[in-house]
Amino acid sequence: MLQVLIQGLLLSGLYALIAVGFTLIFSVGRVLNLAYGAYLLIGGYTYFYFSQQLGLPKFAGVALAGIIGCALGILKFQLIVRPLKGNHVAIEISTLILAVFLQSVVIFVFGDSSKILLPIIPGVERVAGAAIPFSNLFAAIASWVILISLWLFVRSTHMGRAMQAVSMDAKGAAISGVDATKINMFTWALSGTLGAIAGVFFASYTQLYPGMWVAPLIIAVAVVIVGGIGSIIGTLIVAHIVGFLEILTSAYIAPELRGVFTMLLIIVILVWRPSGLFGREEL
Amino acid sequence: MALLEIENLSAFYGKAQALHDLTFNVEEGSIIAMVGANGAGKSTLLDSIMGLTQTKGDIRLDGTPITAAKPQDIVVKGVGYAPERFNLFPYMTVRDNLLVGAYTAREDIETNLDMIHKLFPRLEERENQETVSQSGGERQMVSLGRALMSSPRLLLVDEPTIGLAPKVCLEIADVLKRLRDEFSLTVLITEQNANFALSLAEQIMVLESGHLVASGTSDELSSDERLAAAYFGH
Ligand SMILES: Nc1ncnc2c1ncn2[C@@H]1O[C@H](COP(=O)(O)OP(=O)(O)O)[C@@H](O)[C@H]1O
Ligand SMILES: [Mg+2]
Repeated sequence: MLQVLIQGLLLSGLYALIAVGFTLIFSVGRVLNLAYGAYLLIGGYTYFYFSQQLGLPKFAGVALAGIIGCALGILKFQLIVRPLKGNHVAIEISTLILAVFLQSVVIFVFGDSSKILLPIIPGVERVAGAAIPFSNLFAAIASWVILISLWLFVRSTHMGRAMQAVSMDAKGAAISGVDATKINMFTWALSGTLGAIAGVFFASYTQLYPGMWVAPLIIAVAVVIVGGIGSIIGTLIVAHIVGFLEILTSAYIAPELRGVFTMLLIIVILVWRPSGLFGREEL
Repeated sequence: MALLEIENLSAFYGKAQALHDLTFNVEEGSIIAMVGANGAGKSTLLDSIMGLTQTKGDIRLDGTPITAAKPQDIVVKGVGYAPERFNLFPYMTVRDNLLVGAYTAREDIETNLDMIHKLFPRLEERENQETVSQSGGERQMVSLGRALMSSPRLLLVDEPTIGLAPKVCLEIADVLKRLRDEFSLTVLITEQNANFALSLAEQIMVLESGHLVASGTSDELSSDERLAAAYFGH
């Protein structure tokens, strides 16, 4: 019981971090970024390359993953989203193709086989019969710190309020002097950074492999659909629903089915409440 | 030189032309009303001044062309806009809505908040309320307040009284006058309700189907029988 609780909390914190970068882009830019999982992929491999292959300090590897993710977000905005201005289907197809393309690049450079990431912080603590790797604990705590900082940033800085403003009323933001293009680019950069860092944590939680962008994308989409896009707080709540659902499924039903109920939940919510549990689209 | 000069301004929605060759000036320190029926092009005119539509012609603020400038640059140059549907940020508090308005004028936040709270004491009492749960009158106040947070010299207000109770209309009229008299703003409003415009503005212009058909003081306009019958109800 305690074991399930602890594992649920650890996983849910990570899921919230994964989902929040996706939510940001949907709320501010109204784009379903189907290449979002690719940030996690690139983040994981960047960390692997710098920290494990080149032997740089682990935190430098995390930071570099964040920087590469940030650059990727900006490139995606400038090269795909801006030129395709407002054409949502084209943007979504292009982002999906981009994800597959990046997967191929990763296979070309690093090979097809999965890799084990050395833990960011080695060691394991046993609590109530559950083995808790320090690495997962660190990932959960770091996720929480990042999420709280993000929440404070969005609530209490001019830039953060402008992000909310663009997400709630584009015309209102424009006549307030907010440059939506700048805010969008910043949001893409932020989303890429968050996604890439989440990728390091996610890969160390599971493993590093070229197809690892799919599962996080489904988690992010699930959180967005179940939560009704919604606020950072909404994202947190739904990430916990999804995280605990997975942990409960693998503890009491079968580990193989852990992702299945998440997808069933998506379908049920789509049919029952298409606008999601919380049903608003703003930050 | 007039604060706002508009010369041969036309505006378009795709191929449809919504404004036809408008030419007029707004003198500094005046309150001007643009009167017109539903669909005449009032909102389009204010949107156009704000850089939100496709236009031809010239718009100058203080002699500087602002035609086709971006809205954010026009805000910086000193134009504030309270649009017809307010376009507030519904899930943000009154205070945060106002603070977004200060995006381009961060040094003036204290001064402007003071002014707004003096003009609309209710906004200070309700500063932590989300605007989604506010009445029409309160939203109009937030909308005006947000426009004032950018420290404008020219305030554009689209149909300030639409849907508001008569008592609130008087409050708004009073505030617009005080903005001109105490805070030396120049105000351009639009109205369907010509009597409200008469009570407030020294100069009135009449817009019909995108054409400027008359312009003058309220006395001049009410002596024209056709206009008087159509807009002033006497
Ligand atoms: N976004 C738009 N797209 C196309 N036509 C529009 C749009 N907004 C307004 N119009 C048209 O432009 C004309 C002027 O509208 P508007 O400026 O809203 O008038 P008013 O504010 O005086 O009621 C109308 O014929 C209206 O149908
Ligand atoms: Mg209108």
